[in-house]
Amino acid sequence: MTPSKLVFKSLTRRKGRFVFTLLGIMVGMASFVTFMALGGSLKSQIERESAALGANLVVTPKGSCAYEQVSILTGEQLPTNITKDEVAAIRSIEGMQAIPYLAERSAIDNRPVSVMGILPEETKTFKSWTLAQGDYFLEEYSDGAVVGSVLAEQFGLTPGSDVRIRGTEIKVLGVLQETGGKDDLTVFLSLPVAQQLYDQKDLVSYVAVRVDRLDEVELYANKIKDKVALGVVSDKQMRSSVLSIVGTVNMTLQMIAAVAILAAAFGIVNTMMTATYERKREIGILQAMGATRNGVFRLFLFESGIYGLFGGLGGAVLGGLAAVFATPLISQNAATSFVKGSQNSLDPVMFVGAILFSTLVAMIAGLYPAIKASKLSPVEAISYE
Amino acid sequence: MNNPVITARKLIKEYGKGAALVRALRGVDLDIQRGSFTCIVGPSGHGKSTLMHLLGGLDHPTSGTVTIDGQEISRLDNKKLADLRARKIGFVFQFFNLLQSLTARENIETALMLAGVSEKDQKKRSQELLDIVGLGDKADAKPCQLSGGQQQRVAIARALANGPLVLLMDEPTGNLDSEAEADVMKVLMDLNRQGKTIIFVTHSNEIASKADNILYVRDGYIQLPPELRKAS
Repeated sequence: MTPSKLVFKSLTRRKGRFVFTLLGIMVGMASFVTFMALGGSLKSQIERESAALGANLVVTPKGSCAYEQVSILTGEQLPTNITKDEVAAIRSIEGMQAIPYLAERSAIDNRPVSVMGILPEETKTFKSWTLAQGDYFLEEYSDGAVVGSVLAEQFGLTPGSDVRIRGTEIKVLGVLQETGGKDDLTVFLSLPVAQQLYDQKDLVSYVAVRVDRLDEVELYANKIKDKVALGVVSDKQMRSSVLSIVGTVNMTLQMIAAVAILAAAFGIVNTMMTATYERKREIGILQAMGATRNGVFRLFLFESGIYGLFGGLGGAVLGGLAAVFATPLISQNAATSFVKGSQNSLDPVMFVGAILFSTLVAMIAGLYPAIKASKLSPVEAISYE
Repeated sequence: MNNPVITARKLIKEYGKGAALVRALRGVDLDIQRGSFTCIVGPSGHGKSTLMHLLGGLDHPTSGTVTIDGQEISRLDNKKLADLRARKIGFVFQFFNLLQSLTARENIETALMLAGVSEKDQKKRSQELLDIVGLGDKADAKPCQLSGGQQQRVAIARALANGPLVLLMDEPTGNLDSEAEADVMKVLMDLNRQGKTIIFVTHSNEIASKADNILYVRDGYIQLPPELRKAS
């Protein structure tokens, strides 16, 4: 016999209670791990999209807030009020490359998709795109569409097939190679075609700017501001403001998970308190056989810890599975652009951390019952009926 | 014979305070001789179990002293008392008090574990003890699979686990039928013949008649048994 065997025998004596208490902490930890994974996924996706934008500066309509900055990264619809003249003024600045975008939304088979109006050749170079199938736009005014790889797969689009945007059938010219970002879920049209389709003559949503010298980003931001009365945000600023929004979302999700864990912790307190009362006599027997108060304390604390360890392990596995299978579905509904990249946020450190955290929470929850058990006098315990 | 393994002097135990004060023991002096079979008898609620708890180091006296094997234990702290119980005292209680989640063997192994015996030695020793009480073939049985008499014999084996100086038994046959009581008593008398000191709380005159020494506890004192009081 060893203390750990003794603990396992005690725990498994009442299998139903053991399983249900364990389920409590498993559910709590599973939600915690899922939310952490989802949060991590959003964060890493934001960073990837920011990198995929390939810009050091983004020119947005005056007074754009963080929400619009999120939209640039996610491909949501944006207010479109940057004029042709403003774009020309920005593009006239030397030492940088400026690419205008018209960001719009449409629906294919009742599912929302991003539609982007682009300058075909410049954007292709800017983003280093390559084609997986078909052809690219032949000229700046080409009528067709080029679609992202995931979108093509989802809607069965191939070169030659038609895609319906705002009631107009548009021929798919080609499919891009997978980029791992929101471009995979976007329909690209040439800028004039998109402007006509969305009734935004000579207007764009934002301009992505890449400066030749990274140490002069600030300088070029000021140059743009001198030329046009628009908002200019650096990719770093944009990323940090978007990440702070994501951080708040994550924090909220984790608070919800924390409540679930807290409820599970009280479940452990309840189970262990019941065990203390039910096993008063057993505690007395152990004391009569020579168990010290400290020994009884450790046995009870160990039992609580086991709930945390197994609950944490089960919860981490369940949460991990939920993150792998459910997160992409959640993302798909909330923002299609986050479909990709949601599956690689299962961090082993987080997995182990969740198990350790769960064990710690369970042991803290077991502290009071363990103290109560250890403070029983042997005579009181042995005389308990 | 003057070789006491346990002595108690002016032993007083009180519970509660003020109007709720209960004087369980009011000044007990006794000597338990090594290798003796002593019965503590007397009416219920007059201090028999309290006396046993104090002699076995399960509780501290309000005043007075208890000495076991030359060591004064009444002022020992809880940790030292626990160590004393693990090594020098073997308890057996009326309601068997086996750990229900463990087998007969594991119950004995737990007592050995608490005295720091290695797992390997626990296995060997527990089997020996079960053989001594005639339950060598019931090692893997859970308490619920054993009869009352068998459970009490397992409890005796567990009490013997660490070679205690004395076995303290609180009405160990009180819940057994005659046949089981006879089985348990046979085991105990054999142990006593081999030199084990036994203190036995009982209401049974038949068992008391087998004792070397009878302590009659009444109103918190040790008194002469009623039949002797009438005679005197």
